[in-house]
Amino acid sequence: MNKKNSLKILVGTIALSGLLLTAACNKNTEQSSNSMAEKQAAPAPAATPIDPSTVATVKGSVKFDGTAPKPSKIDMSQDPACKGSNESENVVVSSGDLANVFVYVKDGLGNRTFDVPKDAVVLDQSGCKYHPHVLGVMTGQTVQIKNDDQTTHNIHPTPKDNREWNESQPPSSPAIEKNFAREEIMLPVKCNQHPWMKMYVSVVKNPFYAVTDKSGKYEIKGLPPGDYTIAFVHEKLGEQDQKVTVAAKETKNVDQNFKAAGE
Amino acid sequence: MPEQPNPEQDPITSKSYAAYYLIATVILMATLFWALWDEAWGQRPWKALQENWKDRYSAFLNTSRSKSATSEKDVEQNSDYAALKQTYEKTYQDSKPQGDEARRKLDDANARLLAVQSVFTDRRAYVNALTYELETSSSDSAKASKRKEIDKYKNEQATVQFPDGSKQKYTFPQLEEKYNEIRDERTKLSLELGDVLKPVTAARAKMDEYVTDHMVDLTPQQIDGLKRKIGDWDPQIVQINVADANIVDRCESCHLNAREPLKITPASMTSKGDKKPDEYANALTSHPEPELLKIHDPDKFGCSPCHQGNGRATTSVEKAHGNYEHWLWPLFPKANSEAGCQNCHAADMVLASGDVQWQTINDGKDLFRQRGCMGCHRYEGYDKEPEDLNSVGQQIKQIETQKKDNIKQTAYLMKQADAAQSNDEANRLNGQAVDLRVANSKLDGRLQQLDFQSHSLMQDMKKVGPNLKDVRLKLNKNWIPVWLKKPTDFRPTTKMPNFRLSDHQIQAISAYIWQSGFTDSAPKHKPGNAAHGKELFETRGCMACHSIGEGDQLQGGTFAANLTRVGEKANYDYLVRWIHNARERTRPYCPYEKKDIGPEDYAKKGLPYKFDLDHSQCPNDGHELQVQNMTVMPSLRLAPEDAEDIATYLMTQKKQDPSSYADAAFMDDPNLKAEGKKWVRHFGCSGCHEIAGFEDEGRIGTELTFEGSKPIERLDFALFTETAQRGGKNAEPIKDNEDLARLPDGPAKEPWYDHKGFFEHKLAEPNIYDQGKVRGETEALRMPNVHLTKEQVRDLTTFLMGSEETSLPASYQYKPGDARHDIQEGWWIVKKYNCMGCHQFIPGQRTILMGLPQYQDNQEQLPPKLLTEGARVDPEWLRKFLSNPALSTTDTNRNGVRPYLKVRMPTFSFSDNELRKLVRFFEALSQQPLPYIPEQVPVLNTKESDMARSLFSSTAAPCLKCHATGDPAHDKIATAPNFLLAKERLKPDWVERWITDPQAVSPGTSMPSGLFKQQNTQWVFAGPTPPSFQGYTGDHRKLLTDYIFQLTPEEQRKVASSMPHAKASAEMKSNHKQAALESHRTGNGGSR
Repeated sequence: MNKKNSLKILVGTIALSGLLLTAACNKNTEQSSNSMAEKQAAPAPAATPIDPSTVATVKGSVKFDGTAPKPSKIDMSQDPACKGSNESENVVVSSGDLANVFVYVKDGLGNRTFDVPKDAVVLDQSGCKYHPHVLGVMTGQTVQIKNDDQTTHNIHPTPKDNREWNESQPPSSPAIEKNFAREEIMLPVKCNQHPWMKMYVSVVKNPFYAVTDKSGKYEIKGLPPGDYTIAFVHEKLGEQDQKVTVAAKETKNVDQNFKAAGE
Repeated sequence: MPEQPNPEQDPITSKSYAAYYLIATVILMATLFWALWDEAWGQRPWKALQENWKDRYSAFLNTSRSKSATSEKDVEQNSDYAALKQTYEKTYQDSKPQGDEARRKLDDANARLLAVQSVFTDRRAYVNALTYELETSSSDSAKASKRKEIDKYKNEQATVQFPDGSKQKYTFPQLEEKYNEIRDERTKLSLELGDVLKPVTAARAKMDEYVTDHMVDLTPQQIDGLKRKIGDWDPQIVQINVADANIVDRCESCHLNAREPLKITPASMTSKGDKKPDEYANALTSHPEPELLKIHDPDKFGCSPCHQGNGRATTSVEKAHGNYEHWLWPLFPKANSEAGCQNCHAADMVLASGDVQWQTINDGKDLFRQRGCMGCHRYEGYDKEPEDLNSVGQQIKQIETQKKDNIKQTAYLMKQADAAQSNDEANRLNGQAVDLRVANSKLDGRLQQLDFQSHSLMQDMKKVGPNLKDVRLKLNKNWIPVWLKKPTDFRPTTKMPNFRLSDHQIQAISAYIWQSGFTDSAPKHKPGNAAHGKELFETRGCMACHSIGEGDQLQGGTFAANLTRVGEKANYDYLVRWIHNARERTRPYCPYEKKDIGPEDYAKKGLPYKFDLDHSQCPNDGHELQVQNMTVMPSLRLAPEDAEDIATYLMTQKKQDPSSYADAAFMDDPNLKAEGKKWVRHFGCSGCHEIAGFEDEGRIGTELTFEGSKPIERLDFALFTETAQRGGKNAEPIKDNEDLARLPDGPAKEPWYDHKGFFEHKLAEPNIYDQGKVRGETEALRMPNVHLTKEQVRDLTTFLMGSEETSLPASYQYKPGDARHDIQEGWWIVKKYNCMGCHQFIPGQRTILMGLPQYQDNQEQLPPKLLTEGARVDPEWLRKFLSNPALSTTDTNRNGVRPYLKVRMPTFSFSDNELRKLVRFFEALSQQPLPYIPEQVPVLNTKESDMARSLFSSTAAPCLKCHATGDPAHDKIATAPNFLLAKERLKPDWVERWITDPQAVSPGTSMPSGLFKQQNTQWVFAGPTPPSFQGYTGDHRKLLTDYIFQLTPEEQRKVASSMPHAKASAEMKSNHKQAALESHRTGNGGSR
């Protein structure tokens, strides 16, 4: 009804005065309707591809200042299936070299995205101990979890930014395959049945990461030249960042020292 | 007659008024156009908006459609979909020949039916016409001739030409028979065709279902449907009209997308050229909480019952939102939108839908209780116990009178009966007398129940602040005046508000409190071990309610006091008593005699001086006594030495030495006492504290139940009425920086002459409306500064704004009569005792303990989540557990179910009332019916038992590795409850769900998922099964559950010793083990 009434009035008005005041109004709205075409998102500027002939390498070693804590022995007698001896892996230092430090390119890669590697990384449970203790993996990459022990383990990650799960893995059962969708550094993983069993998964969005070995050494290859922030993360001693610039084909040495907690 | 000279200038003849007329005409025309325009558009701003909406929304839908089509394609690419498609195509091909054949037959039958039908209906019509004539003809002869005519017609043969060209002749009865025959044949054929096509349609439906299930958003088809709707749209008023509730809401004339099934943000409704969303874009969003609309169907609830505003107005945004002087219910501002909930949900303490908690209104409701607002202000539903107690008392009196009357009446009736004229009369009267005796016996039962009630209510009455009758036992005397000066100076997070007391008032009040307190003394205790006390304090769960540290260092809950400086004020011996059992009272109080009862009263009657929940009758007159401190602090069932250790630790918590407080000798001045009493009354101290002489004192503040609907004129803005109306540069009267920081939107710039403005200013600086007034010390506003944060002011303001007398019919109030009522009542208790400080009730809800550093790496030590508690445990067991969480009357210094947890489930001394409500609450929350009728667990035969045992103890399912067994050596490392509890405690169906996927029941639990997998309709063990399982076809999950429910201590011992680990500890003296098990069993028995 409203519409009809106003239309009548409109027609009458036009006939009376010839003023097309209102028609002009209508025109305006038509125009704006045409301008409302499909919304299009501005395409992200394409990232510069990595030229394999210019890539650089960052490597170095991580040291521990001060007296290294003595690794404490773990009593595994509650489960006879846990063979061998086991020591705490909180801070593993041998002659000043710090192992199990996760090193990765935290910043500087811009908007580059990287394909998820097809190969799975393996997390092994043997001797009621995780191998490795710190594991790097890319977001979305498959982690294959194996149980080589003659006992049941359960794998229980307690993430901050990923989904939590907790699954049982009896002896000689097939590997569990999982992946983590979001970046998260030092995501704790534990076994509720063997309270000493603990390891960390670091999930990153780029393939430029490494974990220091027994001698504190690490190496990150294939890095395009540029300015980067390299982060060194340790489960107990926290994070240390360094800014570095690498030139084409350069092999840069980046060392890092950690102080004993509380010093 | 003198000649009249012609005026030199005749205005009519000499001056042209054309210009004026022209101007007037133009003005008139302009007015006309303006009036017309106003009629068509000016008064109908929604028209232009709707035109805009059509464009913007269809543009948006186009974008969504292409996205939806892409994701549909993604879904269709899935191999599962491909498989479904393949199945569909295969069934289609398979059924094709058969289907074609059936369809052909059906078509043929249809054609034949048509041929017969055309002839048959013609002839039937003719027969009917003749019959009608027969019925209406008047003479018998005419009837007879008609009958003949009909018979003749019926016997005539009619020709039917069938589609295949053949011709047949039928009489009318034959024709009818043929017609029915073909019709039946057709029905049969179409059923056959349906059967043939069934797998095809089913396969097709599966494909479609797969797409709908796997699409996060709407499917392209659904979006096309929405687009069609816009295409046909004519500008119109969109209105919800609910006559019963007098709701007429035209909000959707502008908020067109409110109920659309997509998420529509202002950004997506912004026209292409604009950078920022304009007014239209903001109006065209979808409702941010579609889940809420599902519970509150807009067609029933409209918009304004929740949001307020003038639902009928359509002429402008201001009018529609009710933001003008003459509308009493303006739209709730966004920050306070949850105020609308309070209108119907005043009886709910916690508002949550799914895992969403409505935090603003919930916090407002909570603060009103926690901060002791209810101590001064009555609010329907809060602090109900004293009122209930009163009403129970009245009922008791009434029933007693009734009983007396009945006895009198009985005696009278019997007397009458004895003297009755006839036996019939006597029997009738005696019968009435008997009925009255029965009635009295029923009344006795009711009286008994009311007595229990009042016992419960007495137990349930709590005060926000501590009992000040204990000050002499409890406090450092010199500290009291310092505290009263400004409590936040000593303890910034305290609940005690700042009363702006003068030094003289402080002296008088302290003197009264001190002199009216008990002169008894607390038993002496030896000093304990502070380090051990600290550990206990941090692990037993104290910090779920109490905090320690200040500012950034503050850790723990804010439900109870911050203990950072408790060492400066507390008396060690009293603190030990308090920690051991805070409910322990110095002297019982008799509300009937209105006095504290002492040993002398007991001695007079030769009774021992003993009072507790089981000995709560007044020695003088048998009335119910208050035997507990009215605090919610529970008992942690600590050993006395542990209480000493914790108290010792807490006494170290101080910034200055207790002796450094200035001497307050004036507190003993008897002259100050009378004046002190006056001020205690004036400031309403007894609203939160128990104070001698004030036990029956009423509340001093106004009732706030309907504060939000008070007319604005009745809110006293005092000298700021104009300032608040005007707004602008000097609109903000608060000068104090601390108080300014409490205003949710900062200092006022806009006019704030509304309820929101009044409440916010009142809460930020309660005496603000005294500013500029000349008032004596007894006339000044008494409301203390509750030192709220910005957020808390917003929460409470929201709560008060929603506290309205609603015009909606009573059926709109959320007052369910079913199990949901139990949920409603339960939340009040859950909040009263801060159960949520330790336990998770709502998925995603954070507890205080979860936030503490000591649990970050140690989540196994957190108290259990209670997401499915009602479905998990037997309600009768739950009642026992809640009243005695140790599940034992002798071995109490432990947790009954989870002895491995350091954090302790305390004993809350719930009254029967509260126990009943809590049990019902948990059952209702998990949708469990009451009373609970346990499921019968089948008894396993020997073979089944053997199988279950071997699975139970296999290396693949090492249940006893984590679950406690009662063997102390093993239980040191146990992280789960003892299976022996299961039978009495758990519900079998829940156990089956639990062992299948514990992560779904209690996310983050130590118990792993994936133990069972589904095989056909059975659940079978996922790992390697013991050899005895070969050939077993039953459900493994069920078998294991049944086994758990019939586990005996002997059986468990047997299994434990057969496990690899138990061998290692087998050297342990078996009788020791036996003893441990026995003690466990007696512990169990205690709860039976």
